[in-house]
Amino acid sequence: MLEMRDIRKHYGAVRANDGIDLAVGAGRIVGLLGENGSGKSTLMKVLFGVVKADSGTIRFRERALANHTPREAIAAGIGMIHQHFMLVEAMTVLENILLGGKRAGVGLRRSEVADRIRKTSAAYGLGLEPEAVIADLSFGHRQRVEIVKALLEGADLLVLDEPTSNLSPPEIKSLLEVLRKLAEQGRAIIFITHKLGEVFDVCDEVVVLRDGKVAGKALIADATRKDLAHLMVGRDISVGLSRTDRKPGKEVLVARKLTWRDSDGRERVREIDLSLREGEILAVAGVDGNGQSDLVDVLAGLKLPSEGTIELDGRDITRIPVGNRLRAGLAYIPVDRGATSLVAGMTIEENLALRDFDRPPYRRGIWLAHRKFRKQAQAKIAEFSILARQPDMPVRMLSGGNQQKVVIAREIGRNPRALIAFQATWGLDPGATRFVIDQVIAMRNRGGAILYIASELDEVLMVGDRIGVMANGRLIGVVPRQEVDLAQIGLMMAGSHDDSAVTNS
Amino acid sequence: MSASLGKEGKKDRTPPPEQPGAAITISESLSVTSDFWRRLGLAILAISLSFVVSAIFIVIAGKNPLLAYWSLIRGAFGSIDSVAFALNKSTPYVLAGVGVALCFRARVINIGGEGQIAVGGIAASWVALSCPDLPGFFLIPLAMLAGSFAGAIWAAIPAAMRLTRGVHEVLGTLLMNFVGVLLVSEALHGPMGEVGAGFPQSPLFPEQAWLPALIPGTDLHIGIILAVVAVIVCHFGFWHTPWGFRLRLIGSTETAAAYAGVSVARGFAGVMLFAGGLAGVAGAIEVLGVHYRLIQGFSQGFGFDAVAIALLASLNPAAVLPAGLFFGFLEAGALAMQREIGVPSSLIYVIQGLTMIFVLCALGVSWRRQRV
Repeated sequence: MLEMRDIRKHYGAVRANDGIDLAVGAGRIVGLLGENGSGKSTLMKVLFGVVKADSGTIRFRERALANHTPREAIAAGIGMIHQHFMLVEAMTVLENILLGGKRAGVGLRRSEVADRIRKTSAAYGLGLEPEAVIADLSFGHRQRVEIVKALLEGADLLVLDEPTSNLSPPEIKSLLEVLRKLAEQGRAIIFITHKLGEVFDVCDEVVVLRDGKVAGKALIADATRKDLAHLMVGRDISVGLSRTDRKPGKEVLVARKLTWRDSDGRERVREIDLSLREGEILAVAGVDGNGQSDLVDVLAGLKLPSEGTIELDGRDITRIPVGNRLRAGLAYIPVDRGATSLVAGMTIEENLALRDFDRPPYRRGIWLAHRKFRKQAQAKIAEFSILARQPDMPVRMLSGGNQQKVVIAREIGRNPRALIAFQATWGLDPGATRFVIDQVIAMRNRGGAILYIASELDEVLMVGDRIGVMANGRLIGVVPRQEVDLAQIGLMMAGSHDDSAVTNS
Repeated sequence: MSASLGKEGKKDRTPPPEQPGAAITISESLSVTSDFWRRLGLAILAISLSFVVSAIFIVIAGKNPLLAYWSLIRGAFGSIDSVAFALNKSTPYVLAGVGVALCFRARVINIGGEGQIAVGGIAASWVALSCPDLPGFFLIPLAMLAGSFAGAIWAAIPAAMRLTRGVHEVLGTLLMNFVGVLLVSEALHGPMGEVGAGFPQSPLFPEQAWLPALIPGTDLHIGIILAVVAVIVCHFGFWHTPWGFRLRLIGSTETAAAYAGVSVARGFAGVMLFAGGLAGVAGAIEVLGVHYRLIQGFSQGFGFDAVAIALLASLNPAAVLPAGLFFGFLEAGALAMQREIGVPSSLIYVIQGLTMIFVLCALGVSWRRQRV
């Protein structure tokens, strides 16, 4: 039904799609497997007409699709179910489906569409009521609304982007059943995921992407989990870092049975035990959204843990505020330069003083010591080779790499005892990525204790002295770098590890 | 208004990937000073445009716009008395406006100036009336303090509602306006009313409670000095103290403020109380310096004009002074224009409104790029 050939798309020097072929037949469910950044979403954006490919051809139902818009893709019969639902919460199911639907003359034909919703819902056992308000529905049901919407728009090919990431296990089960029914009716489905278990549960065939290329494809009947995990992550551990040999010193940051629940009571961080020692990097891999961001926020003091304790150099810091943790020697590089670690509209010098502005040397009496801001900034700009014309230019005028250097200069430049780095190289080009990693390693070599969380497995393997995986809110399988078993890590990242085989460090 | 303010710090957790190669991108003028001149130029352009458009309305009203504007200028600047009158008019605008500017900078949408001015006036009047034997150098500061205290409390209530119950401050401050204004009526019809006056007003204050004249022989009272001091304090407080830094952080992004160890709740409450206190002083100055008594409706419209002035000053504390003066002189001139030419003074609200629209259009495009 769908044939994509030799799709290429690059962003700057990054080849997001580097000659990808993908074919999906009617009645088939094809799993699209790959890590973050392997090119899955770019490929789907090309298919849906959100971005234009540099080269390559798409044929859908024997017709060429080129230079199409999302609207044309929908009209052609492609339905996209996004990971984050595109529904208006205050409206009913019916109204959401009417929104942006095919125009039926002047009237909306509510009752006619409502009938069709009821029929479709019954045919696939979705249990949807047209008059139910979205806000009252569970995530599972909201997703079904999206599916019905796509079906009523005439979709023959459904693309589901990480459809199970917000669902509970029973909801996942019924989703997979629905997908199977859809396939039996002759529809084609592309199922994007990084969870191996689901691929085996529902897919007929699987395509594995890595670094913008097809790393392998197989019929599910012929594939094993181990093979797929290896295809997904398999590569050499590149070294080439100036990592000095040093024995880890005493424990600096220790967390015990750390648990955090969100406002809905869901456990996002589950009973995490970890210990960071002097001169050691604990690097943690894992697919985004497995509790990493909540873990780092809890450690840094932006969120209070529901249970558990945190100690820094033997002192209990579980409940002390962010500023005091910082003073005690805990630095933090959050993922989000845009909204957390930097204030885009403030100047470089102000951003460098962002977390210390209300104490000397930046404060003198009731005044801000602007001259100290300037001097500190000049020193940091030189030391960390930040490419900036002058210290009083707004940080938003810097490139991403230089913005991150400002963050690094502030956080690592204070010579902290412990550092929490979360996706510190996110969105950076290779040169800037290397700079960040070198700085982290240098801090380790000086005896700092570091928790380094990233979604790029390469990076985790390159940086860590010990490697662990975060899955489903738990930290699992922490082993020294020499003992890393890639296949095992792939399985753990895909959430299908054998609980008895891995130890919780 | 709140929408355009909300844009700045919108959480954006998925910025696009960086384009490698572009080490440094300079897309705009760097210097803060040149930015200042650009903004000033835009403000003047907006004001001129509003006068041009308003001229059309004057023509429609059957009057000569040039004559009308000439009498407006004479009414505002024509004599010492007219200047004094205009400066007195400007004082509450500046005081309340600078507080609102700080609030909006911290992304606190305080539109409760009117109510805060009203209760400030009540408190000052109460002090002035109940201590007739105190000497002026003691009574006046006491009355002002009482006014600012009352204004701060009036702002504290919506602040507490926001922080403990999640009631948005737009709603809280707006509703407190009605209560505050009605409280003036209540006081005048009850305990503080002048017996047999026929109009809801309090007895005249003892003369030592009247604000002293700044220039003898004119109506100009010392309030304008206080307003200038307030602007200077706010300017330096905002740009040069940790307190101001905190407000700027809170106003830019709450996540960044939390990361920097700044309590958003404390900053929120602090700036509300501060602005409420300034508005309360403005209320005290109105009753002590202009009316010499509490009268019904004395706070009419000041609160919303304060918002307009803060926005006209593009939320820059120092720029509130010229913006407030502009409003004050415009109003003074308008009254003369009405007297002499017969152009309705309500036309001034048209000019004010048009100026706001033009200024917001001119500055709105650069809002996202503003220094915080």
